[in-house]
Amino acid sequence: MTLLTAKWIFWGGTLASLAVFGVLTVDTHRQLDALTHAERLDEEVVAGKRAFERHNCNDCHTILGFGAYYAPDLTRAWTRVGESAIRRLLHEPHAAFAGSYRLMPRQGVTQAEAQQLVAFLRWVDGIENHDWPPQDSPGRWKRSTERLLASSTMSPGAALVQQEACLGCHALGDAGAHVGPRLEWIGGRRSAVWIADYIADPQAVAPASEMPAFAQLDPAQRGAIAAFLVSAAAEAGR
Amino acid sequence: MRYTTQRVAYPYFVVALLLFVLQVTLGLWLGLQYAWTAPQGLVDAFPFATARAMHTNLLVLWLLLGFMGATFYFVPEEAGRELAWPRLAWVQLALLVGTGVAALVGFVFGWTQGRPLLEIPRPLDLLVVAGALMFLANVGWTLVQARRWTAVQGSLLGGLVFLAVLYLFGIPFYRNLSLDWFYWWWVIHLWVEGAWELITAALMAFVLIKLTGVDRAVVEKWLYVELGLFLLTGVAGTGHHYYWLGAPRAWLWVGGVFSALEPLPIALMVFDTWRVAREGRAEKVPSLTWTYLVGLSVLHFVGAGLFGFAHTLPQINYYTHGSQVTVAHGHLAFFGAYVLLNLTFFYFAIPRLKGMPGGAYEERAGHWGFWLMSLGVLGMSLSFAVAGVLQTYLERVVGQPYMVAQQPVRFWMLLAVVHGVMVLAGVVVTVRHLLRLRPAGSALEVPRAA
Repeated sequence: MTLLTAKWIFWGGTLASLAVFGVLTVDTHRQLDALTHAERLDEEVVAGKRAFERHNCNDCHTILGFGAYYAPDLTRAWTRVGESAIRRLLHEPHAAFAGSYRLMPRQGVTQAEAQQLVAFLRWVDGIENHDWPPQDSPGRWKRSTERLLASSTMSPGAALVQQEACLGCHALGDAGAHVGPRLEWIGGRRSAVWIADYIADPQAVAPASEMPAFAQLDPAQRGAIAAFLVSAAAEAGR
Repeated sequence: MRYTTQRVAYPYFVVALLLFVLQVTLGLWLGLQYAWTAPQGLVDAFPFATARAMHTNLLVLWLLLGFMGATFYFVPEEAGRELAWPRLAWVQLALLVGTGVAALVGFVFGWTQGRPLLEIPRPLDLLVVAGALMFLANVGWTLVQARRWTAVQGSLLGGLVFLAVLYLFGIPFYRNLSLDWFYWWWVIHLWVEGAWELITAALMAFVLIKLTGVDRAVVEKWLYVELGLFLLTGVAGTGHHYYWLGAPRAWLWVGGVFSALEPLPIALMVFDTWRVAREGRAEKVPSLTWTYLVGLSVLHFVGAGLFGFAHTLPQINYYTHGSQVTVAHGHLAFFGAYVLLNLTFFYFAIPRLKGMPGGAYEERAGHWGFWLMSLGVLGMSLSFAVAGVLQTYLERVVGQPYMVAQQPVRFWMLLAVVHGVMVLAGVVVTVRHLLRLRPAGSALEVPRAA
């Protein structure tokens, strides 16, 4: 190889790569507003992003998969955990993680900041990013729940979830609201005994929880709901 | 050493080495937080996030100070002229170290920009830019006055200018999180897989020419090919960070194809080192410097090339993105490429700065340092890799919630900490050895015959 050939490789390689990169960067700018739903990106969301940075959240949590890996990814935290639970985690991390092997620091997050952070996470949740992360893929939640419901038409727990209107606050599959945590996620994290106790008196098990008590249900009914949630935990495979 | 102004490199090396010890100590603390639960009061006062900001910023700071010191050593010798403003180099060091210390103390009190690796608050960013401008002016003016241009110089200067310009993209506040991360990678990726590779290639070429006396024309020819391949694969390869942040789907193709080729230029670099070593002067002395050169090219290839390739394709990255797999790759790549590069250059330059005949020095403790560090980092990265694969399977494939999936991962993080202790021991030995480097034979009772 001559020096001239080597110089050709240098300039050819560099310029070709820069050209591809430049064209795609322009294209990204053209499509980004649509992909990220910029029309919903209001001042409250921006204030939430500033709070997210002020408290250095990103050096424990990942978001869009970037950041530190010490705590759960926040890309779909809004649909997974729900607004009320996000506020509680921000205000009372010591209570929420009491007894856990990994703790979250108390950072003195104000009421206003918590609301802004919820708005920020709700907006992030809507970013169209080719269905990442897989563990929070809506398609997976839906299939997992469909399989479950198809096989348990007689499940008393499922009937009670329906009767008590749990989906007024919680999400299950692609149904429900985003005030409390997603039911599949609770089922994946907690035992049936824990869930049954929690339903009877939420504040006794998790201080500052905003969930109302369902003390009117008898223990067998609470046990049936708990068993249903544990069986609703996401199943393997996509 | 042929020019007195090259001496200004030494204080840069000293500061860089001391910061290196602090960086690794904090890393050990971070690893421990995975295996051991600190009391809530301690978590409130000194959160994981703060320690991580310090760990990563110290890494960037000491590597950059090392590069700058290396440049101040390199430029007069390559240009054949004294450095334009040696006193400005001292001012620049004081400014950058002062800014770094202010940033680290600020992190403890919650003064942060809050973006990973770019936590330095914006007012301090301006001081960093001022320091970078002093540096570029000093180096640039020296080269302009010398009027002697070489490809090695061009590669170094190009890398340094590229590095400084890219830093600017990390300074603004971005309203849109996706756009924020898009430009965040212009700093982080285009640094480590663009600008810093140019600097590495230049410094490696310089050291190889000086150590072996091989024909400069041959080295420079291959330098062009290496740089062409680095930039071809590295620039468009930025796309492998744009898969899942809300950017168009075309990045999956571009990122996947270009970054799959990224191991090529590193392989060429390994081959190049081997070829020069074989063709150059027969005697490989000092042997520790050669151990570092070979270690650098091999671990650069394994850490950056192979570990990077392992999770760069979108089909795999969908599951491994944002897991401990990234940590495994990050640690081995930074160590193999940039930590070893800096240390190689220190072992080349310090004996010459201290006027040791033939650049030879008493090397025994240095070998211990090298092997403790290298095997430690390798073991640590393999532990992270197992932790990452386990996390990927349990959390992303099976669908277990994060905290449930983390439970079995903790053992492997503990194993990483055990290897981390080995790394810290190696770093302390190495830094001590470098700072107290003695001429060859001085440790023996009877001086070796000349």
